Amino acid sequence: MRGSKLNLQNLLIYFSYGIILIVFGGIFIAVLSLSLKTPAQIFSYPPKLIPNPIAWANYLKVFQQSKMPIFLYNSIKIVFFTTLGVLLVSITAAYGFSRFDFKQKRVASFGILAFQMISPLIVIIPLYRYFNQLNLINSHFATILTLIAIQIPFTTWLLKGFFDSIPREIDDYARIDGCSRFQTLIRIILPLSAPGIAAAAIFNSLQSWGNFIIPFVLLEDTNLYPVSVGIYQFQSIQDEITTHLLAAGSIISIAPMVLMFILLQRYIVGLLIQGSVKG
Amino acid sequence: MTRKRNFISKAKGSIIWWFLPVVIMLTFFYLYPLLEVFRLSFTNASFVESDYSYTIRSYIRIFTSSSFYFTLKITVIYVAACVVGQLGIGQAIALLLDQGERRGLRGVVLTRTIVLMGWIMPGVIAGIIWNMLLSSSPYGLVNYIIRSLGFEPLPFLHSSTFSLVAIIIANTWRGTAFSMILQYAGLKQIPQLLYEAAVVDGASPLQQYFYITLPQLRNVIFINLVLITVGTFNTFEMILSLTGGGPGISTEVLALRTYTEVFRSFNLSGGAGYAIILFAINLIMALTYFRLISKEN
Repeated sequence: MRGSKLNLQNLLIYFSYGIILIVFGGIFIAVLSLSLKTPAQIFSYPPKLIPNPIAWANYLKVFQQSKMPIFLYNSIKIVFFTTLGVLLVSITAAYGFSRFDFKQKRVASFGILAFQMISPLIVIIPLYRYFNQLNLINSHFATILTLIAIQIPFTTWLLKGFFDSIPREIDDYARIDGCSRFQTLIRIILPLSAPGIAAAAIFNSLQSWGNFIIPFVLLEDTNLYPVSVGIYQFQSIQDEITTHLLAAGSIISIAPMVLMFILLQRYIVGLLIQGSVKG
Repeated sequence: MTRKRNFISKAKGSIIWWFLPVVIMLTFFYLYPLLEVFRLSFTNASFVESDYSYTIRSYIRIFTSSSFYFTLKITVIYVAACVVGQLGIGQAIALLLDQGERRGLRGVVLTRTIVLMGWIMPGVIAGIIWNMLLSSSPYGLVNYIIRSLGFEPLPFLHSSTFSLVAIIIANTWRGTAFSMILQYAGLKQIPQLLYEAAVVDGASPLQQYFYITLPQLRNVIFINLVLITVGTFNTFEMILSLTGGGPGISTEVLALRTYTEVFRSFNLSGGAGYAIILFAINLIMALTYFRLISKEN
């Protein structure tokens, strides 16, 4: 296909990119537009893309009149501790899978991925009953623990892939220098696999931020809700006239992740591709 | 003396310690709940009372209720439509992106990013957004577009048929990104040499697709199929905020039904029964897929 880049096939491809951008991007634009309208503008027909005047005050209203700031704080707290916990637990297991050979290894590797198929719904039903008896309902502690557990299979598998790419000889050199296995892990392997650990941290953050069912079931006090549950509750107390506020709330809920994703997207996509190749 | 010392040093150097945290967590948060749900489904336990007896009454009730088969039916329709949509559209977009890269076109990263935004959006919020977009009120964008094209507006949230369409559309939008990125990764693995050789042999683009692209993508497509089928089957958060399962129970897929049985009707043993059925279907699907793959190999 040398020669002009504007031949028919390429033009068709560009055209399809345009369609995709409009269809997929249009959804976000539409919600953004809704979030900046007044109630009167919401019901005016035909709907205009850019409202005039732009009601920035909607966002202020959401922050002042709803518990959105509390929700955001809770989300950040939950995401932070969950990601920390998942990494701590998964790093050691992933290192073990990567460096040691043992008879049950194949079964164990497959088993870990099989856990992915056990839906959180199945997990949460008896856990709710159990936590209820322990009086741990309505605590971030139980929520964070459960969220950590749910992400262990995937994270362990992901980290193992990254550890595998570091040659075992490096471990041997470290041991010759007198390091124990554990010291080898901390001083040598971790710094070398920093990109992989960062990727795992990003995935965990995205997952825990967006998780709805676990905090929804395990938390009862509105003040403990993360954003995912808070926005759902927000939806249930809205009616048609306050759609603009719901739209603004939705944008606020997804803004942190969208921002992070846009900033890191090349990196994330690259790692996703690497990961699925290994898988 | 030496025996004791050997044992201690063996325990210290044992591999077990590396896996202990993970094993503890997985046992408590996966194995125990799974066994417990299984056990509970054969009881008449409830959240309130502590004593119960063993019975299969829950399962009998489930299998003799007409709503169960209705739920199964709409679940199958929903999952099938979503999987086909996600896989098909995902592959189409992946092909367009891959071709764009191979030909040195621009806008690939932008398009890729926009599509992937659907993936990072939490299910609940996707449901809230689509609920607004599919509304029959003046601000419902989708119906505005439909009307502009000259058709009658569709009652996405009020009719039993169209609400099913609504959740399929919303879930397909969300899940396409995942299928897209998976197949995109697979496509990038195909060496350009294969295509060039085919062009030399006079193969048309269509022939290239069927004889090179598809066979090379086979494994990726299988993994993709398993993951999105299980995923679509098990998640219901988006449906919860989009239609709430309604109108009535016309969009109450099996996963949502399980949730409402346990946490809305407080029917612990019945809900556990649904959960086990859900898990069993998951297992059957996964085993079927794996058997298909090993047959191919």
